[in-house]
Amino acid sequence: MKITPMKIALNRAGMRFGSRWIFRGLDLAVEHGATLAILGPNGRGKTTALHAILGFLPLTEGERTAPNRLGYVPQLLTIPAPHALREMVVMGRCARVGLFGQPSPEDYRAADAAIERVGIRHLAGEPFARLSGGERQMGLIARALATGSDVLVLDEPASALDLGNQGRLLYLLNDLRQAREMTILFTTHDPNHALAAADDALLMMKNEAALSGPVDTIMSEANLTRLYGVAMRQFAIPDQQGQAMPVIVPMHARHSGEKR
Amino acid sequence: MIFRCHIFRRPAIRPCAALLAFAALLTVPLALVRAEPIVMTDLEGRTVTLEKPAERVAAIPIPMASILIAMGQGTKSLAGMNRIAKTAMLEGILGKIFPETADIRADIAGQNFMPNVEALAAARPDLVIQWGGRGDDIVKPLTNAGLNTMLILYGTEDYARRYITLAATAIGKPERAAANIAWRRSVEAEIGAKVRAIPPAQKPRVLHLSRAMTAMAASGRGSYEDASITLAGGENVAAALNDVMPVNRERIAAWDPEVIFLNGFEEELTPEFIYKDPILSQTAAARTKRVYKYPLGGYRWDPPNQESPLTWMWLANLLHPKVFAFDLRGEIRMRFRELYAYELKDTEIDGILRLPIHASAAGYDALRSR
Amino acid sequence: MALADALVAAGSRQSRRVATTTLLVAFLVAASLVGLGVGQFPIAPSRVIAILGQAITDPAAPLAVDARILLLVRLPRLVLAILAGAGLAICGGALQCVFRNPLVAPQILGISPGAAFGGALAIFLGISGVGLLGLSFACGLGALVLVGWIARIDGRTETVTVLLGGLVVGSLFSALVSLIQFVADPNGSLPAIVYWLMGSFASATWEQAGLAAPGLVTGSSVLLALRFRLNILSLDENEARSLGAHPERERWLVFGLVAIVVASSVAVSGIIGWVGLIIPHISRLIVGPDQRVALPVTALIGASFLVVTDTIARTATTAEIPLGVLTAIVGAPIFALLLRRHFREREA
Repeated sequence: MKITPMKIALNRAGMRFGSRWIFRGLDLAVEHGATLAILGPNGRGKTTALHAILGFLPLTEGERTAPNRLGYVPQLLTIPAPHALREMVVMGRCARVGLFGQPSPEDYRAADAAIERVGIRHLAGEPFARLSGGERQMGLIARALATGSDVLVLDEPASALDLGNQGRLLYLLNDLRQAREMTILFTTHDPNHALAAADDALLMMKNEAALSGPVDTIMSEANLTRLYGVAMRQFAIPDQQGQAMPVIVPMHARHSGEKR
Repeated sequence: MIFRCHIFRRPAIRPCAALLAFAALLTVPLALVRAEPIVMTDLEGRTVTLEKPAERVAAIPIPMASILIAMGQGTKSLAGMNRIAKTAMLEGILGKIFPETADIRADIAGQNFMPNVEALAAARPDLVIQWGGRGDDIVKPLTNAGLNTMLILYGTEDYARRYITLAATAIGKPERAAANIAWRRSVEAEIGAKVRAIPPAQKPRVLHLSRAMTAMAASGRGSYEDASITLAGGENVAAALNDVMPVNRERIAAWDPEVIFLNGFEEELTPEFIYKDPILSQTAAARTKRVYKYPLGGYRWDPPNQESPLTWMWLANLLHPKVFAFDLRGEIRMRFRELYAYELKDTEIDGILRLPIHASAAGYDALRSR
Repeated sequence: MALADALVAAGSRQSRRVATTTLLVAFLVAASLVGLGVGQFPIAPSRVIAILGQAITDPAAPLAVDARILLLVRLPRLVLAILAGAGLAICGGALQCVFRNPLVAPQILGISPGAAFGGALAIFLGISGVGLLGLSFACGLGALVLVGWIARIDGRTETVTVLLGGLVVGSLFSALVSLIQFVADPNGSLPAIVYWLMGSFASATWEQAGLAAPGLVTGSSVLLALRFRLNILSLDENEARSLGAHPERERWLVFGLVAIVVASSVAVSGIIGWVGLIIPHISRLIVGPDQRVALPVTALIGASFLVVTDTIARTATTAEIPLGVLTAIVGAPIFALLLRRHFREREA
């Protein structure tokens, strides 16, 4: 029996730690096969919202709609596991293996397929801890894919990566998006990442309701300037094929010049 | 220190002084002799001075309480004792002979002979007897509190004779110690002479289990039990061990002792313990029913005490029944008369020798006949 | 080609693991045979084989003294050493995973002091056998629950608070053990408690083996079966949860199993320290961190370690050396070396 693809949603959701509200009245919905980027400055609750979606933390108020299992790609901050990449990825099969089981050849085939999918097959035997940041990020995505979940939730997947690795990551995310088989959510600090790999964006505004909508309309200069408190400009530049590609640029160190 | 000692004793002196004066009137020549202070050197070489015989002695070493009772032929001079000494008395015959032992305080020392100075002060002792050779920690609290302290050492017959003498001297009865020591010497000489004539090959291999029920431990060279067994013509199989050491059953099987002595301390330990053990039941001792538990007289017979010669006779009778035939029951009766001024009943002697648990023991019949 | 390389690398690792395991099994078998063959009572190797052969072919035959010693003293002792060694080492390995901390051991979590208190209390009250086992299990588990209660703040359990809680509870139960020693009769239960606390298989019998074996075998096997899940529990808690594990619940399952194993071992042999701390380290040094390999290897090394140390304990001198003393003498320096290594690696 095939499980009907489920959408992911938060409805009037609020999270409170102690007496402090991290966010309140958050609405969010991602259709099956779509990709949502969550943007917001530090401390606005992006990671908390993600954890709420993942079910790590119970909502203080509101409702959550999500399948039982979601593929989760944590930030690259945790101490890397000392296991070989392939063993690390096969851990994604945990739920299928069961409490007292051991991974079967089939589980290894799934792990290998996931490693293949993210394009790091040549690293399968390497100890995970010895991989570079970009390679580790790919490994963690492979593990999330190996779970067999059709949802991928990534917590700032690009923030610890150099530009080259950011490029590879966004290429992979966009590739997964275009296959339309997976629902993807990720948080990011860079609006360009949303433009590159997401269908929709959720802007976690200060002192007002979050804004959401398709990336090309919701990420207006005005909205983003309000979001970050820094003047933001949008341009279109030609890409390698000569097609117009939107870019969003912060006007750093400009407003202080006006004051002078 | 003597000055502080005076202050400490002051409340006790007044009523006693009147009594003493009365006693002095009755026995003038003796009182004159007694007026001399008693100066003793304890086993640690310290000088201990008493202005007059001690009337209240607190005995922290366990066997010392019953020694004091024996030397004083009563409990009068015992002001306090070790909790374990009291247990042994109430469990054994001494508590029956002197029912008042139940009221003597036993809180003067805690674990590992640590003095309880408050309880000691309340006991108002003229003299406190404590173990030496066990570190300063258990002595300092006594001397700091200004208590007149005498230290004794454990382990050998020589030490035992010296502290029996000290204890008796302290309570003004040195002649009773002299008599006890003369008895010890004569029994020791008598047994020693006969044992010397026994060829080594005829000396049975003997094991003394100083612990048995949970973890086993054997008495090795340097222990008093080893000395007693050697004196009585036994060959201690654990002679290679230094004092008391834990051993396993396999070791005991390898020794294959011909006689096993069980300590008198573990209350529930009986020869059955050996007979029921799958390994120990295979030893020569078990197969010939030569497993014996140490008696409990005025005190447990394992460590040195005022009754030790009785222990030696008991051992000699059991180890060499063809050589020794001490009339142990008669001896016990006589010595109890002498030590405690008590006439033992036959059933009481049965209890001392623990006859019920030795029903099948070889060589115990001689001890049974009344 | 890269895949082929990876497969070759994996293959060689596989074969190395097989070789390591084979070697360890062979060592355990050899150590066990030597342990059966040597002792205070001389039994020739040929006789050992004859006795063992007879025990298998004709178990009803009456036993000579040497046969009794081999079959009734050495064999149950060996069985207990193997089971307890494997069990304690597995417990250490499992706890180190669950706490993501290589310096954790049953002792540190208060389980051992708790079980020791239960055992000492049982001896003090004159309880033995199943009662002693039950009391030390109950107190070991009680200590653990106490640690869990102390460490659980706002519905979350932090590793540091668990360790501190373990320290507090361990100290409490150690003090209670001292209290029992203080009030115990120096002529009765006190020497028994003291010797028992030092840890020894000296009084091992089939009866005792029968008492401890169910707990040791069940706890160890279930922990071994959990070895893949232990890998996952060694990850960050949220990661583990997202992969389908239930870290909070499964951690307590591990704790409960550890309590069963530790209490069973404590009940028959007192506290045998260090095995649970150092053996998992040695095993990780040899085969790496993957518990699917490391945990069985840990079990094998732990069993061999106790078989060897127990053989030394009962043969080195005429008197029996308490096993716990030996494992501490061997374990403490090894642990010091591992500790230095651990922190040097963290610096690097």
